[in-house]
Amino acid sequence: MLPLHHGWTVRGSRKGGDTEMTEERAWHTTSGIPLKPHYSAEDVPVDWDPGAAPGRSPFVRGAYPEMYRSQLWRIFQLSGYGDPADMNERLKFLLAAGETGIIVKHDRMTDDHLYDVDHPEIVERREDVGLTGTVTVGLRDYETIMDGIPIEEVYTKPGGGVPQAAPYTQSCFWSVALNRGLDWSDIRGTGQSDFFLTYVGCPTREQIPPEAALRFNIDLIEWCTERMPKWVPVSIAGYNGADSGLDAVQELGAVFANAIEYIDATLARGNLDVEDFVYGIGGMNFRTTMDIFEDAAKLRAARKIWSDLLLKRYGVQDERARRLRIHIVTAGSYMTYQEPVNNIVRGTVMALTAALGGTQSLGVSGYDEAMSIPGDHAHLMSIRIQQILQEETNLAAVADPLGGSHYVEHLTSEIEQRVLAYMDEIASRGGFAAVVDDGWLIQEAARTQAAFFDDIESGDRPIVGVNTHTIDDPLMTVEGFEGRSGAETWERAMTRLADIRRTRDEQTTRRALQDLRTTLAGDDNIVPAVMDAVQADATIGEIGEAFRDVLGDWRPPIRF
Amino acid sequence: MKRVLIVKTSLDGHWRGVAVVTRLLRDAGFEVIYGGELRPTEICITAAEEAVDLIGLNIGGRIEVVERTLDEMTARGIDDIPVFAGGTLTPRGVAALEARGVRCFTPGSTAEEIVATARELTATTFDGIE
Repeated sequence: MLPLHHGWTVRGSRKGGDTEMTEERAWHTTSGIPLKPHYSAEDVPVDWDPGAAPGRSPFVRGAYPEMYRSQLWRIFQLSGYGDPADMNERLKFLLAAGETGIIVKHDRMTDDHLYDVDHPEIVERREDVGLTGTVTVGLRDYETIMDGIPIEEVYTKPGGGVPQAAPYTQSCFWSVALNRGLDWSDIRGTGQSDFFLTYVGCPTREQIPPEAALRFNIDLIEWCTERMPKWVPVSIAGYNGADSGLDAVQELGAVFANAIEYIDATLARGNLDVEDFVYGIGGMNFRTTMDIFEDAAKLRAARKIWSDLLLKRYGVQDERARRLRIHIVTAGSYMTYQEPVNNIVRGTVMALTAALGGTQSLGVSGYDEAMSIPGDHAHLMSIRIQQILQEETNLAAVADPLGGSHYVEHLTSEIEQRVLAYMDEIASRGGFAAVVDDGWLIQEAARTQAAFFDDIESGDRPIVGVNTHTIDDPLMTVEGFEGRSGAETWERAMTRLADIRRTRDEQTTRRALQDLRTTLAGDDNIVPAVMDAVQADATIGEIGEAFRDVLGDWRPPIRF
Repeated sequence: MKRVLIVKTSLDGHWRGVAVVTRLLRDAGFEVIYGGELRPTEICITAAEEAVDLIGLNIGGRIEVVERTLDEMTARGIDDIPVFAGGTLTPRGVAALEARGVRCFTPGSTAEEIVATARELTATTFDGIE
């Protein structure tokens, strides 16, 4: 018996060119949907109705009638490092290279934790400052980041991945717009405030508890709905849950359970009707992997589940309001350390999958993802992959190219059924916030991920250059992005922090921070109070301190 | 039973690698203490208090912070505790750490390699039973 790394076992021996083979492989999708050798009309459920055309409810066939003929997907790469001036330079580089939306990635240590650079947690890790994004000490740095960027023209994600950072970061961005005399109602872009990042995928220290985060997000939804019709106030984003383990079904199920929580909490306040705000939160983020057809079908199913949920559960009659718009990030965890240039192919496959599923925007993980943040060439490559798909392949010509395939329609229907069942399971466990808070969802991700790892170990899941077809070829290596030590970035930020503290009107700052604490302790919308604080030159750490003092923090329920 | 302290050196929250390594080592008979995200001084204090036989660092940041941890271990006289590391490491980062005696595992490492190394690194430490 000769074990191969292909998920099946070859039995028997070669005899005169003949191979006796018994295949024992159980074919299934990554999430476990069994697969037949081929599909026919009878495999599509009789009651399955994807709708006649794209752009119409239930949107299985696409969010818009003309899809990529009318609007190509937005090339939307995660980017950010170093000083605010570095960030500004990188954004201009990406726009010049053809990126069609910009994302400001902030330093995860200072921004996501709302720490000033002189916080002890930062000082002992000062070389890390600026590695995962740009470091800001207050609003003035945001002016530098956006210097010369036409924010009235470009779709912007100003940052704020975690709920506690979102009001600060977006207040800085909106204040820059205000200072330029722009009308907020014209500004296009998206927030994030992502429960999956914060409480499932990458839970880190000193985050406000989920119930406070829910309040922040509903505050953002209400505030933006009244002022910013072209803004996605919070983006429900499955990526970080998926890339830490959740499979396609678990990802969608948890994302829509999250959406239900937002909708119910917003409605419970009684200030907005459902049709006022659901379009705004209908810009969601998912992941694509190497499982081409499962993931393309996943996007088709997602649009239908959202549309049906809004119609049936919330009575949303306005068809436009039920249109789910999708942002995809290709799976960073599929990028291998070994032979990293192979990841250009993987990025291309995952990007193609996103396009086949009808995504509205896309970020392709850098081919050096397993070793560092993207180097210059990896960053450019992620854009080039998308441009080549958009302009050289004729992919844009026809919407929903997989529509009508017995196989893909079967998968779409099957995913829908499984996702609805998973949503029921989450509901039976008390809802999304409950399964986040008690760690059940993290355990789900950990279990799925452990099985995934075991499949790689056993060879059931072949990964070229890692557990199969391995060769020792130095031509296939890359160096990864080293950048520079953050020590200097940290020192410059320390100087800016000292400057801001020295030159601001201290009384105004103190008053704004006191008002913020009062607001946090009460029920009023926190956005105006945070906006006042940033405009009064409160620092990021001072705002964080107010949050920590009044709201406390959350202990991740991680039990390994 | 050999005791291993697993910690994250940076404030990034990713737990995939930590979960995999923790499970592997437990299944192989180690006692694993997961310290979460700790600063260099906290790593040293925890390692000493817990009297661990091995420290596993999950690295999501720069090498300098890991080097500060190693320096701190030397300053506190606990640099006899072996250290292994994994995470987002560049080839140059691996070389720098291995030059200081840290065994590195990059993504794609096998369970067998990780467990064998943990056994080898703790083979000579007194575990309280021998």
